[in-house]
Amino acid sequence: MGYLNNSVVTVDAILTKKGRQLLAQNDGSFRITQFALADDEIDYTLYNPTHPSGSAYYGQALENMPLLEAFPDENQIMKYKLTTLPRGTSKMPILDVGYTNITIKQGASLAITPQTLNYLGGNQNETSGYTATISDVRLFSTFEGVGINTADATALNNSSTTTLGTNVSATVVGTTINLRATTVNTLFGSNTQLQATLVIVGRDSGARIQVPVTVTKVS
Amino acid sequence: MSFKRLETDDFVVSADSVTAGLWSGNNAELTSFYTSSTQVAGSSGNYYINVYNNNSYENIQFAIAYGDVDGSGSVEFDSAVEGKSPSSTIYGQYRTLVLGDENAEFTFDGADVASPNFYVISVDRNRYKESLFPGSTTLILSSSAGEISLTDNSQVVTSVEFNDAGRVFQLVSGSAGSVSSTSPAANGYSNSGSYGWFLPDIATYILSADVLDAAASDGGIALGTVRGNNTDSENPGRLYDAIVDGASFTANSQETITSDFVFVRPRSSEFNYSENPSFISGSTGEVIYNEFINNPQVYMTTVGLYNDNSELLAVAKLSKPLLKDFTKEALVRVKLDF
Repeated sequence: MGYLNNSVVTVDAILTKKGRQLLAQNDGSFRITQFALADDEIDYTLYNPTHPSGSAYYGQALENMPLLEAFPDENQIMKYKLTTLPRGTSKMPILDVGYTNITIKQGASLAITPQTLNYLGGNQNETSGYTATISDVRLFSTFEGVGINTADATALNNSSTTTLGTNVSATVVGTTINLRATTVNTLFGSNTQLQATLVIVGRDSGARIQVPVTVTKVS
Repeated sequence: MSFKRLETDDFVVSADSVTAGLWSGNNAELTSFYTSSTQVAGSSGNYYINVYNNNSYENIQFAIAYGDVDGSGSVEFDSAVEGKSPSSTIYGQYRTLVLGDENAEFTFDGADVASPNFYVISVDRNRYKESLFPGSTTLILSSSAGEISLTDNSQVVTSVEFNDAGRVFQLVSGSAGSVSSTSPAANGYSNSGSYGWFLPDIATYILSADVLDAAASDGGIALGTVRGNNTDSENPGRLYDAIVDGASFTANSQETITSDFVFVRPRSSEFNYSENPSFISGSTGEVIYNEFINNPQVYMTTVGLYNDNSELLAVAKLSKPLLKDFTKEALVRVKLDF
């Protein structure tokens, strides 16, 4: 006889900044419909498939590690998602956007067309497109996704540059992401540059890339 | 795919009632009471006095006001308009709030006549959260003439009465919902009826001035309410003094916590690979260990809840990493409180 494992893990969730914003908007956009899992904080180099004590100990360094509490900033959490891929996958899908960092002048435009490498046997643009999240929507007068014309994507793209005057994130969906840096000088204050982070995720593959973005003041 | 849609039966809504001590720090009993001389002397002091739990005056616990249908006991707004003063404003305010009829009068249960004046104890919003918990009150009032312990009769009434302020219970002699049988009347009433009303849904106690002014033999404490015309009789201070001398005010708050449970069910064939950079070796995407090609081992740490636009609405962290591979399924219950 032995004790049974508790089969249900219960965890308390917190609302993200985006969640609070959408809840306050009261327009129906705060509606949980899907979930994702992530392995933030895990360093797989600690996994040891040559552990001398055998396979039960391969994950010893990871299995009891203490985890940090959840961050409410949606840009700082759920960074590395777990994905569903066929068994036997030897190469993980990775994104190529053509930039490792983006510097754009005030008022200038840029189009980004991501490509997924190692996906479905080759390199390709994903059918469902890409989700692009900019950490501070105020930096862009245009932040839109084009190429995906579903109702949800269209609605999301139409409201993408709506700002409440604070540094909330914005998310768009498309096969190409169009950016136009803000022409508003007051946002810069005494600074000559503004920084944000652009996160692009393949909607089919789950591949993710994070690109730092700098907007430079021209006058 | 990184996202999985939730089904209708993955959501469960639950509402739980939570009670706690009413006062700051979730203390059920307040034994020390303080007022701010600045607030009392200010314009709001004409209407009510705030009562604090310490002399740093940071957290208001409750307010005491005095209402009088004739405007007695406080200075008239304009001496040319008789009977209109802060006390008549308080009376009218609670008449509208509680009785909902400008012609109605406050007639407490068992009283022969309507009460022209009353005291109000209004608990601070941050203290009572949603409502006061019936049957938890013990308010001791003391004066040189005597001492009484008041509670509500919620535990003995067979049917709950309602008015415009929600549930109404009578304030009676007793403690913690237990009605005293040794007071002037067996039902905990004074000789002039109940001591007033306990209105849990608006966190208010309305105390009959007539009953408190009565002699101890009649169930009162000879509070000495002054109904002077166009004079500030500082009546709220009289009740405050009686509370200070009683040195004990006990009650609980009550709050309904609505929780949304979301059941997250990754199946055996799902979520077995990771986009974590340490899961990949080099820049071309190869998994870090050859063993991971056919038997990937990933460690779930975070659950994200998204809307249709893949915007992250809520997030939960596990207490420790949970191993996931092609031989394991998981069931995680995520709790969202509102």
